[in-house]
Amino acid sequence: MRTILRVLRYILIAICLVFFLFPVYWLVITAFKPAKEWFTWPPTFWPTQFTFSNFFGAKETEVFGGTTGSIENIFPYLRNSIVVGVSVSLIATMISALAAYAIARYKVGGAFLAEWIISIRMLPPIVSAVPLYVIFSRLRLINTWWALILSHLVVVVPLGVWLLISFFREIPREIDEAAYVDGASVFQTFFYVIFPLSAPGLAAVAVLSLIQSWGEFLLALVLTNDARAQTLPIFLGRYITGWRVAWGPLSAAGIVTMLPVVVFAIIAQRYLIRGLTFGAVKG
Amino acid sequence: MKNRLIPWLMVLPVLVLFLSMTIYPFAFMIWSSFRQYDLSKGAETRFIGLSNYFQIFSDTTAVESFKFTAKLLAIAVPVELLLGIGVAFLIRGARGEKIIRSSLLIPMMVPAAVSGVAWKMLYNYAFGPVNWFLSLFNVSRISWLGDMNYAQLGIILIDVWQWTPFVFLMIYAGLQSVPQDLIDAARVDGADWGRVFLHVEFPLLRPLILVALVLRIIDCLKTFDIVFMTTWGGPGAATHTYSFYIYKVGVSFGWNIGYASALSVLLLLVSMLLVNIVFRLVRMRQQLGFGGEGE
Repeated sequence: MRTILRVLRYILIAICLVFFLFPVYWLVITAFKPAKEWFTWPPTFWPTQFTFSNFFGAKETEVFGGTTGSIENIFPYLRNSIVVGVSVSLIATMISALAAYAIARYKVGGAFLAEWIISIRMLPPIVSAVPLYVIFSRLRLINTWWALILSHLVVVVPLGVWLLISFFREIPREIDEAAYVDGASVFQTFFYVIFPLSAPGLAAVAVLSLIQSWGEFLLALVLTNDARAQTLPIFLGRYITGWRVAWGPLSAAGIVTMLPVVVFAIIAQRYLIRGLTFGAVKG
Repeated sequence: MKNRLIPWLMVLPVLVLFLSMTIYPFAFMIWSSFRQYDLSKGAETRFIGLSNYFQIFSDTTAVESFKFTAKLLAIAVPVELLLGIGVAFLIRGARGEKIIRSSLLIPMMVPAAVSGVAWKMLYNYAFGPVNWFLSLFNVSRISWLGDMNYAQLGIILIDVWQWTPFVFLMIYAGLQSVPQDLIDAARVDGADWGRVFLHVEFPLLRPLILVALVLRIIDCLKTFDIVFMTTWGGPGAATHTYSFYIYKVGVSFGWNIGYASALSVLLLLVSMLLVNIVFRLVRMRQQLGFGGEGE
């Protein structure tokens, strides 16, 4: 009886893993399939030959029903994602740290300010997307990196502030006070004493900001309209809603979009979980 | 220390960011929700009172999107909670616990645009693995994204796939903090597995389950990317979520800023209420160091 239960349990675990991982597996495997195996019945679960032509294109790749055979034209989007993601990450870490320190140590603005900042994270992005579109078009910022950087900052900064407040609160006040006694100013204390001590927290905020900006869809969709500013998720969205759906290249683009996020997310999973659950789980 | 200005200088960048990027847009939104403001009909606006708000209830697509969003809340969220709790118990103490936990993170980490691509391939009518799997049981091909009922089910299934891991993680972490000696004591007293769950573990997990529930409701109201990537709201209006409908009214279809604003104000109010509940549940004030209830 016991062994039967044990076996049953591991079968159930296996079913779970298949259900939750198969979609990602399918995407990855399709990205390496040659064109003739994109559409087959029964589906190809393991390609007979792995190819990189979906990524880089190949002279002899047959073009499938007028679709694009590779993702050579992904580079502008990749560039935009990197520029926006890195800028958001750096700016967000900097301004979140400043604000979090002032809130954690000096209680600036009281509970109201802190709660207001953090609550912004939970609001539906569509609510700000429409007014931001109108405002940005007046400022002639539509379809620029700045539109994305500014709007993504709104999405990521609340989490950064929240995480760093809890981080700074764990650093004993005596350390600050020792620095003041030695004649350091508030800013000096912050930059030379607190900053180095909270390096793991700052790194976590930088990584989380990058992940969120990288995957953000709705604001990027509304605020940009061509390759000058569109990011990778929008590249995917444009391809999939058009009639030119070519599974191989689309999956290849999916890998490019997903890989950095998954890697960083696994590195920073502790903080990610803490942040996602707002401290209900310590992770 | 004595200078009270410096801390304010430190929050200034964040303050300016949020005043200009949330308070101002929200004020603009509330203002336009009372106006006839349709960019497709020109830039001039005029005050029309609550008309935009009344329009919501006579607009069949809006009602349709209410209904589908309600379905997501009523079906996907409970399934995610039950499944998440189930998986957490299943994995606890199993071999390779850590690796399993990390791999289960993946669905919620993958950018939704990417999972949309993956699921669109899986649901493909003629060549998709889902229909292939069903054919093993002699189920004939299903038009997952083309048939009204199946499209709704399809979106619900993706949501379950994406967010069950979130519930799982919360409950799993909660289980780690249930003291083992409490369970042992119950066992010694002769409680079987079911009773241990009902009388020891469940009461300890209850607050966490509640937080998971409210967080899921909040996120459910945001559902957009997956719908955009797979069904684009169709067929007809079957899979319009509320957020998706606002997008259609305000951006992709009509540029009817006034009406989209009215719809948004409604969503904003509901979300704010829910956020308030979450903050109470996770004791946000105490977490932030603003002391007890009295302060």
